[in-house]
Amino acid sequence: MNRRTTFAAVTTALVALTLSACAPSSDSPEPGTAAGEGCDGEAVALDVWSWRTEDVKTYEKIFDAFEAANPCITVNFQAHLNTEYDQILRTGLTGSDGPDIAQVRSYGLLQPLVEGGNLEPLEDLVPALADFDEAILDGSRGREDGAVYGVPLATQTIQVYYNTAIFEEHGLQEPETWDDFIALNDTLLEHDVTPLAVGARDGWFVPTVHDALTSAQYGGADFQQALRDGDTDFTDPAYVDSIQTLKDLQKYMPDDVTGVPYTDAQVLFTSEQAAMFAGGSYELAFFQDANPDLDLGVFQVPPPPGSALDHPVTAGYADGSWGMSATTEHPEEAETLLNWLATPEFGQLVADELKQFSPIPGVEFSDPLQQEMWDLYQANPAPYLLLVDYRYGDPVGTDLMGEAGQKLFLGDTDAKGAAEIIQDGLSAWWTPGE
Amino acid sequence: MSRRRTAALPTSVALLFLLPAAALFAVFVLYPMATALTYSLFSWRGTAQEAFVGLDNFVALFTTEPYRSQLPRAFGHNALLFAGAMVVQNSVGLLLAYALHKRGRLRRLFQVLYTMPYLVSPLVVGYLWSLLLSPLFGPVNAALRAVGLESVAQPWLGDPDTALWVVVLVTAWQWVGFPLLIYGAALGSLDPAMEEAAMLDGASSRQRFWYVTLPMLMPVIGTVSVLTFIFSMEAFPIPYALGGSSGSPAGATDVMSLLFYRTAFHSGASNAIGISSAVAIVLFVVIVGVSVLFTQWFRRVERRLT
Repeated sequence: MNRRTTFAAVTTALVALTLSACAPSSDSPEPGTAAGEGCDGEAVALDVWSWRTEDVKTYEKIFDAFEAANPCITVNFQAHLNTEYDQILRTGLTGSDGPDIAQVRSYGLLQPLVEGGNLEPLEDLVPALADFDEAILDGSRGREDGAVYGVPLATQTIQVYYNTAIFEEHGLQEPETWDDFIALNDTLLEHDVTPLAVGARDGWFVPTVHDALTSAQYGGADFQQALRDGDTDFTDPAYVDSIQTLKDLQKYMPDDVTGVPYTDAQVLFTSEQAAMFAGGSYELAFFQDANPDLDLGVFQVPPPPGSALDHPVTAGYADGSWGMSATTEHPEEAETLLNWLATPEFGQLVADELKQFSPIPGVEFSDPLQQEMWDLYQANPAPYLLLVDYRYGDPVGTDLMGEAGQKLFLGDTDAKGAAEIIQDGLSAWWTPGE
Repeated sequence: MSRRRTAALPTSVALLFLLPAAALFAVFVLYPMATALTYSLFSWRGTAQEAFVGLDNFVALFTTEPYRSQLPRAFGHNALLFAGAMVVQNSVGLLLAYALHKRGRLRRLFQVLYTMPYLVSPLVVGYLWSLLLSPLFGPVNAALRAVGLESVAQPWLGDPDTALWVVVLVTAWQWVGFPLLIYGAALGSLDPAMEEAAMLDGASSRQRFWYVTLPMLMPVIGTVSVLTFIFSMEAFPIPYALGGSSGSPAGATDVMSLLFYRTAFHSGASNAIGISSAVAIVLFVVIVGVSVLFTQWFRRVERRLT
């Protein structure tokens, strides 16, 4: 028993170590093998990597348009499993077998690649970047040098969806004031309809709900700026009040909300047992798919009296961009492709074919609800605060809000305590004003 | 006999035959292990390795937030998972194995039934139970309410007081077949004459179990305990499926592997690779150290018994 057990102990324990050091490689075809038709000079193949395995066919179709306009460049699109992508990309970009162009994450998760010198700064290479929304470009900036390392691919917005049939049944309308909002919640509750489909068992969902409901109350972009300037921190009374609002709204959420998984909240809404769902624009395709008969509307939550802002806002964030490998063998062709990825032509394809919000100026959305969400965001944008600015260290802001929010819902802490959990946690790596 | 074999196979040839396995072991086990160790001794800027910092990453792990408070909390939860697995999984496994031991035909059937969950991916088992235990649509609470046990119905995974025990029970549900099989095999190899002798001397069935069978199972209990310890320390898929990467609710199901996962792949910290490698090394040292101590202790216990 003894030797065998010790051996088993050693080998099994090694699994933990191998996790941190494994290095999958990709078998990409050699560049230059696929000669484009109608190309006068030398044909070049660019390797483009993505985490969207579900979109491979669509992307190939999209890149056909590029190849038709650029006969000397072939795009070799490869998708890797989302959950393994970051690791594969880090390995690919540091080795010799990596992509020329790759989808890269935003904000904090982009930094390892920037700091490692794996990506090219793009402002000089892609002039069209100057026309992008500054807040969206922030998602692709290096933390230290402030340079842009990616052409923004998609944007997500956070708002409240509602079931128009349930609203009509109970004679309700989109709320204009905070009192309207509370009154409609009460009406729904009286008629045994769950007003807000929320699942707080998945910690990441809590900050999304918080910003959908209370961003205007704590001040949205103004509060973000005050934090950046060092004028306040998360124990600010306005922020504490916004957390208190979340607690006050708990009675409109399902019972035992910390035990309800996010997916159950989705089902609660799509099965028309709940009237509203506070969530991201990425939910739309799922909602329409899960229940094609669902009549949906969206609104921004009006701020309660005494809020920092006098108008409602929509929180949003950049969700991925296109980066260029610092070690690409075809910098000129990669530059051509990146510039095309910043054109309205490509943005429109993203909107129409992939049903995503392309942040490229001039793109229009065929789905009226999508267009409405985008217009609401454009009119009164706010940052998805904890994701946008507070994922640059460990622990990340969204995890802290997840934990603090769960404690708040459980009654283990109050609004002030929850704000302190966030502030104390962030103070491990963040000082206001820095 | 062993001498003849050695003579038939000269040492150099024997080494040659060992080479492929040794090479695989070196490439897939020793190399990553050595890499992780070296990673933990350097500071990192994203993917770029920087200066040699000695044990600084380990010092940071034990002295700075969030690791200073999360590391002991996660370790504590791993220890509770181990204690829970010993109490629930292994004792139930042993009792089931003992109960099935003398049931000739049924034994096979039940062994297969109890071992089945073991064949399903633990991630799937975790998600399955998370659906079953949902307070909104889960059949567990619905069944409790249907039979009038409303007071027992809980937000099982939403309450920090119950969540970790749900992890223990779900793990036990999946793995109970493992001790069952090992104890079953061990019971089958015991000499029935011992128990018969005890029976002739007038020992009751309980006495025969406690004073005859159990001591003879000691070596196997040792093996199962050490392996259970290793599995408990490395628990990842079931806690991940039941509580997500941050150990919901409010960190109540956070374990070492989740801490490693968050630090390595989920944080925007510059030195993520250095710190997470240090977490992996600490976990490795604890597992090997405790396993070796355990093994030696069980060896002494065995010697005393024989």
